[in-house]
Amino acid sequence: MDFSYPGAVAPARQRFVESLGLRLHLVEWGDPDGEPLLLTHGFYDHARSFDAFAPLLATRYRVLALDSRGHGDSDWPDAYSWHADVLDVVNVLRELGRPAHLVGHSRGGGLATDAALLYPQGVRRLVNMDGFGPPPAGWEGKGMRRYEGTVPELLAAFFDWRRTNVSRRSFRPSPSLDELAARRREQNPRLSQEWLRYFAAQGAREIEGGFVWKVDPYAARGFGPWRAEWIAPAWRGLTMPVLALWGDQPDAWGLPDPWRSERLAFIPVLETAEVAGAGHFVHIEKPADTAALVLDFLGRA
Amino acid sequence: MKRLASGRSEVALHELRAGPGPTLLALHALGGAAQDFSALAAHWPGRVLALDLPGHGASAWMRGGSYTPELHAASADDALFEAGDAYLAGFGLGAYVALLLAGTRAPHVPAALLLPGRGLEGCGPAPQPDQALQIPSGEALRLLDAAAAQPRPGFDPLLRACETDARPPDYARPFADAARRLLFAEDGGARPPWWQAARAAASAESAPGDPARALQRLAAAAS
Repeated sequence: MDFSYPGAVAPARQRFVESLGLRLHLVEWGDPDGEPLLLTHGFYDHARSFDAFAPLLATRYRVLALDSRGHGDSDWPDAYSWHADVLDVVNVLRELGRPAHLVGHSRGGGLATDAALLYPQGVRRLVNMDGFGPPPAGWEGKGMRRYEGTVPELLAAFFDWRRTNVSRRSFRPSPSLDELAARRREQNPRLSQEWLRYFAAQGAREIEGGFVWKVDPYAARGFGPWRAEWIAPAWRGLTMPVLALWGDQPDAWGLPDPWRSERLAFIPVLETAEVAGAGHFVHIEKPADTAALVLDFLGRA
Repeated sequence: MKRLASGRSEVALHELRAGPGPTLLALHALGGAAQDFSALAAHWPGRVLALDLPGHGASAWMRGGSYTPELHAASADDALFEAGDAYLAGFGLGAYVALLLAGTRAPHVPAALLLPGRGLEGCGPAPQPDQALQIPSGEALRLLDAAAAQPRPGFDPLLRACETDARPPDYARPFADAARRLLFAEDGGARPPWWQAARAAASAESAPGDPARALQRLAAAAS
């Protein structure tokens, strides 16, 4: 099947990098000898979600996009934890062999920020696109299930779920890519069906009965004593300039104030910018405006 | 030794002592192995099963390097599922895992004994200021290099995350409240806040600081 989307350009190259026993998939645009810029995608997205954004940055940089573990064409781990995902980003940065610019969206923005803390010598400048963590009560967007019970009951439910579901290879298939895209649109109503169909064509695979996302059904699922107030204080240790971006339109997957301002206040060298007319997916909704902000910020390195 | 499927990985479960009577599931400390209970097993009146936690002993490393106390507890739950009902005894990280499991599977765990040891404290009640969640900022590269160089099986260096993870007391307490009976080995040594919080639960009581005597106390509870 041949899908296209205005401005979307397939990557010029792809390869794999080893990290903690996993093979991670990277795609690349731009001059292979250029200054490296690494992109990290959000939860349930994949590296090809940058197809309309990366080409705009590739005019000046060697742009690489990583499929996070359990997403896209990267391997699935035995289990998930935030710190292991962060270490993947560190491993990829190390493999580049020279300091890179790091640009992440949503969950990928949070991973990039923590990777910059762990490996500051590998990160020249950091851009976080609306990846400032969930609000204290968690996300309330469509599709987020609320679990009721005491903490021990919830951990028991995690054990039971793990025992029966950990070997599942996919969710229920959608009969067509259009339907898979339409289902995704219920969660991300600001994104066009046209874009989501392109995105699904790159991020889905065909099985008996239809199409499923390549993503691991177990992806990023875990259990632990997570607290929202633990997210940002470590950001005091960021040594490189940071650009924080978000859209000016309300979106269930964006972090609103006061939490955004409270968390960003921990970053020592910070610039912020609001992308007009965009929600959570600034790089997809307004690729040119977002790329211009990013290129201006990185160009001052 | 039996290899048990555990999630997408597998763990080694060792029978250190055969026989009728109540089953003990033994959980070693961070950096330990099932064999740490070899001598202690003689102090238990029934069958003794000892688990090599993931990334330890004869158990597989977690592919992808994710280790948390809750994932260890999930593997211990697989061992409990295999054992049927069992008493629990754990050192250090194994004590924390025993608390999680005793609160999660109370119908199958009549009592658990918590003993000090490596991995008992985590980093305290909240992440340290220099820490991006579970990995201290200065350690990431050293850990990655160590993990790449370490022969397997054996101790996975990424297990370091289980001694720098946060252990809030108000997270631990509901597990103690849900547990049937918890014995805390007390030898006058300092204990972390999560231990103090769990120790204050109605299910909690004191046990001797000497591991053999503490295990005999647990055995008395079983008879």
